[in-house]
Amino acid sequence: PVQNMTSKFPSGPLAKAAQVLARDGPNALTPPKATPEIVKFLKQMIGGFSILLWIGAVFSWISFGIQLAQGAESPFDNLYLGVVLALVVILTGIFAYYQEAKSTNIMASFSKMIPQQALVIRDGEKKELPADQLVVGDIVEIKGGDRIPADIRLIFAQGCKVDNSSLTGESEPQSRSCDFTHENPLETKNIAFYSTTCVEGTATGIVINTGDRTIIGRIASLTSGVGNEKTPIAIEIEHFVYLVAGVAISIGVLFFIISVSMRYKILDSIIFLIGIIVANVPEGLLATVTVSLSLTAKRMAKKNCLVKNLEAVETLGSTSVICSDKTGTLTQNRMTVAHLWFDNQIYSADTSEDQTTQPFDQSSPSWTALSKIVTLCNRAEFRPGQENLPIMKRVVVGDASETALLKFAEVILGDVMNIRAQNKKVAEIPFNSTNKFQLSIHKTDDPNDERFLLVMKGAPERILERCSTIMINGKEEPLDSEKAEAFQTAYMELGGMGERVLGFCHLYLPENEFPDTYSFDTDSMNFPTSNLCFVGLLSMIDPPRSTVPDAVSKCRSAGIKVIMVTGDHPITAKAIAKSVGIISATSETVEDIAKRLNIPVEQVNWREATAAVVNGMELKDMSSQQLDEILCNHSEIVFARTSPQQKLIIVEGCQRQGAVVAVTGDGVNDSPALKKADIGIAMGIAGSDAAKNAADMVLLDDNFASIVTGVEEGRLIFDNLKKTIAYTLTKNIAELCPFLIYIIASIPLPIGTITILFIDLGTDIIPSVALAYEKAESDIMNRRPRNKRKDRLVNEQLAIYSYLQIGIMQSVGAFVTYFTVYAEQGFLPSTLLGVRVNWENNAINDFEDSYGQEWYQRTYLQWTGYTAFFVSITIQQVADLIIRKTRRNSIFQQGNKVIWVGIFSQIGIALILTYGLGHVTALNFTPLRFQYWFVAVPFAILIWVYDEVRKLFIRRYPGSK
Amino acid sequence: MARDKEKRSCGQVWAEWKAFVWDPRTRQLLGRTASSWGLILLFYLVFYGFLAGLFALTMWVMLQSVDPHVPKYQDRLLTPGMMIRPYAEGLDVTFNVSQRHTWMPYVHALHQFLEPYNDSLQAARNAACTPGRYHEQPDDGVPNVPKRACRFNRSSLGPCAGLGPPHSETYGYGTGQPCVLVKINRVINYFPGANKSINVVCAAKDEEDAALLGPLHLFPPNGSIDLMYFPYYGKRVHVNYTQPVVAVQFANATAGVQHHVECRLRALGMRGEGAEPQRDRFAGRVEFRLRLHRE
Repeated sequence: PVQNMTSKFPSGPLAKAAQVLARDGPNALTPPKATPEIVKFLKQMIGGFSILLWIGAVFSWISFGIQLAQGAESPFDNLYLGVVLALVVILTGIFAYYQEAKSTNIMASFSKMIPQQALVIRDGEKKELPADQLVVGDIVEIKGGDRIPADIRLIFAQGCKVDNSSLTGESEPQSRSCDFTHENPLETKNIAFYSTTCVEGTATGIVINTGDRTIIGRIASLTSGVGNEKTPIAIEIEHFVYLVAGVAISIGVLFFIISVSMRYKILDSIIFLIGIIVANVPEGLLATVTVSLSLTAKRMAKKNCLVKNLEAVETLGSTSVICSDKTGTLTQNRMTVAHLWFDNQIYSADTSEDQTTQPFDQSSPSWTALSKIVTLCNRAEFRPGQENLPIMKRVVVGDASETALLKFAEVILGDVMNIRAQNKKVAEIPFNSTNKFQLSIHKTDDPNDERFLLVMKGAPERILERCSTIMINGKEEPLDSEKAEAFQTAYMELGGMGERVLGFCHLYLPENEFPDTYSFDTDSMNFPTSNLCFVGLLSMIDPPRSTVPDAVSKCRSAGIKVIMVTGDHPITAKAIAKSVGIISATSETVEDIAKRLNIPVEQVNWREATAAVVNGMELKDMSSQQLDEILCNHSEIVFARTSPQQKLIIVEGCQRQGAVVAVTGDGVNDSPALKKADIGIAMGIAGSDAAKNAADMVLLDDNFASIVTGVEEGRLIFDNLKKTIAYTLTKNIAELCPFLIYIIASIPLPIGTITILFIDLGTDIIPSVALAYEKAESDIMNRRPRNKRKDRLVNEQLAIYSYLQIGIMQSVGAFVTYFTVYAEQGFLPSTLLGVRVNWENNAINDFEDSYGQEWYQRTYLQWTGYTAFFVSITIQQVADLIIRKTRRNSIFQQGNKVIWVGIFSQIGIALILTYGLGHVTALNFTPLRFQYWFVAVPFAILIWVYDEVRKLFIRRYPGSK
Repeated sequence: MARDKEKRSCGQVWAEWKAFVWDPRTRQLLGRTASSWGLILLFYLVFYGFLAGLFALTMWVMLQSVDPHVPKYQDRLLTPGMMIRPYAEGLDVTFNVSQRHTWMPYVHALHQFLEPYNDSLQAARNAACTPGRYHEQPDDGVPNVPKRACRFNRSSLGPCAGLGPPHSETYGYGTGQPCVLVKINRVINYFPGANKSINVVCAAKDEEDAALLGPLHLFPPNGSIDLMYFPYYGKRVHVNYTQPVVAVQFANATAGVQHHVECRLRALGMRGEGAEPQRDRFAGRVEFRLRLHRE
């Protein structure tokens, strides 16, 4: 077939290459289609409450037009109002867009890739080409350390190993050869994939696929085919917007009908409608939510959780299932020696990230022998110039297992390179797949011992075959069947833990047969390779990160189910799952039960098994109902050997259960699932660009434990947003009531539309952001994740409590101030009722007050009324802020310094507006007599006391309404 | 969520909705039982009752602190405004001399307005005060003693007094020489002119219009207002207070043209054009439009 291919695509004339390039396009992945910036911007302009405000603005302009045509006295008020409303929408839109863009930009820097070069043979000449110029049929050469520039079929390979972990999730490098070994292109040995790396060896291959047609490209297109789900917080905010808009529109329409039937002019009714809409819509809220989210995002970034999509900040808090990739996320993504077996005993090694010593018993002479083999029979070397780095952080040239052994030896014995130098190597046979062993012969460092030492390591069964004795406590003993049995048990046990086991043996070559001058020939093998002395076993695994078990148990107590989804083998997966607590120590799978009871698997009642390990092959034959059953009935699940599509199916399955699913992953194979998940979490260090692009969040330290921090922050911000919204909604009633009473009782308008905007976008902004700094009231990590159907951001209770209780109290307080101001200036409450038409008639210059005085200066007075109403709402919002700080705890139980900033800013802004800008006509403020600031204070205190009593009841009788 | 919605048929949604409105099994209306609704209703009844009571109480306390005779503050009343009679919509006095129905409402309004100014009534109710100085009536220890008002005789308005035969009296509207009364807004304890005499002057707002507007006759002569009508003590104690007025007669206004007329009070200490022309345009003056037709 290779012949065929080369003849079909002669790596010949450059013209041909150019032709193919023109046909197939450059060898690069098409970047995912980004939404045009203008569309993103416009979305901000019409999303949320913007539509309502636009309607308000348009109505204002319409009434301006009508009034202008009718030659009314001051039509420009409505023009200004319309402009202000439009400005509010545009400014909040720009703000939201800016925030969104800022968090996206952080990511843009990630995705910049260094242009890659490829070594190509064209026209019989080797040349360096940019990798995107490759075409199908090109012959490329790769060597250890290179990234594979396209999907290639190998025509020559020498000791070639590729790291497919980003594609398949296998943590071990896979060897590659020219042999066709499997139908499945992912399994066969003679294909190397685009974007994976060649770890060692060299190879030459023919490009068979480029760009989007590569396996990676197909996964990438699978990713872009997955729609973006709305984040839970977006759903919640939408729900809230609908609720408020519903209230606004129904009250607006109701009062439009009422005012029309009360024989108000249509134009007036429209102006009332605008007022009602403006009063109902919390103009500043969406901006506040954005600020609060970005504050949390910043806080999380400090803790190594970089949030790409602001809304994802909260998603993590509502997460109920985490589907975690294994390699690199739960594990350290490096082979480490985990167990040793010598002297008929298994020893555990420390596998933590920053090991400096090994605690197991090293006094046995067997260990001395074993350590010598480990040190000498190893080709891996540290890159020079890293003496100051901790051993575990040093870069090693060599394959994963040898690296593990080298580091292991370095930790225990110290300077390995020096030991090797003292035990000069005289011959070596490197590992190959037919021998399955590695051998080297050394001079010893003992000057009195002239013997050569032959050391060998390899697949344990192959090593054992070559041995006739076994070392026990430093003494060679014959390898009888009993000892062979012990070996088998140990080997099975270590293998059963998902570890890769290597056997070690040695032989001191007799001095008489192999004198000092003996010339060893590795081709003719003029030395013994059997009847050796077996010394021990070492097993290696990609060990879990030390912080993971704790994080998993924290997730557990927070009610989050952690599912492992990996491309790796079931045994390894299960072992890691057990060691990190994804499968807890006491729970059993169906297979475990079968083994314990000694019955066939089919006879086991699967309901008894709390844990399950599902193989990708089994998953392939499952219907979605069966998958649902597994997801429902097992609390501890591991999916192994899964393909990218299957990861997607698993995520969808969890979502079908109503779960909010977080997916963590680093590889390209994870990216479709990352995209599909409610929140995709990519690894910042080990993660591929594809994974980072598909994710909503990036863990900068690759540490699963950071997720727990994220969950905590997410839950906190949800609680705090609830407080912010409750705080904001309350005053809407105090802004709305004036309009309703103005329409019904025809009193002078208590508060103007512009003034309302000054509350919503002025005094209230900083306090509502301050609520985002509120600390958790109870241990939020011991709570179950919120049920996204029941625990809404804004529920009936919150709305009713804000609207019908606190809001009404605020309105009463503000109205008392309003009536006080009017009464003390000459208009007693009885005079005010029903005066609206004459009051607003600019031609009536002698409007009579309660004392017989005549007024033309009513507009001033009305503005004083606005200011008084505004001040009262502000004062009572201080009380509202204090009560919203906590939902259960008394304010005496919980402090928050930022709240003070909120309170002072609120009062400060009100003072500036009233006294500083009191003379600017367009703002409708007038300087207010100082005592009016205190009229509403008793009501503010009442609000606080009322809420403290409510909280007391809630603490005393938890659970009741 | 969208996934769940798709799965439910229309009938199911309707059934669920019906069950929500009235669930016969649990006897729940809108998701609550009758007793639950009753409790909620009771709570809100008590809650709002309490709030209403509190509102009433605070209002009552506030009103107790308000003097019914004199307002606590007059922050906005430093300069009184002025107003015309008859009142015309938009201060736009428009009529057609030959069409009686266009000006009869004005005549009626003036009749009504001037009724309390009848000389007989004034003589009976009000005092003859010393002209040329403020008529101050201190309380002398007894708070809010009733105050006497000074006479303002209707007859002092000359041809604009409307004292002709009741059927043919038109205040000049029937002959194209209409009268407009100008008055100063009542403001309690306001002393205009700083003890110097004050008067009202009227003129066309635009100079080009002056000739078309023709001569203006003011009654009392010079449009002067006597200081004895000040101060005003409020409607409770100053019961028969008669507001001084000045009548302006437009002797020969050109027909078919809209005239802008401005009358202002000439007195010492008057604030002139305020900082805010729009808001202060009635400070010590009044602007109105006059348009008469003869067809």
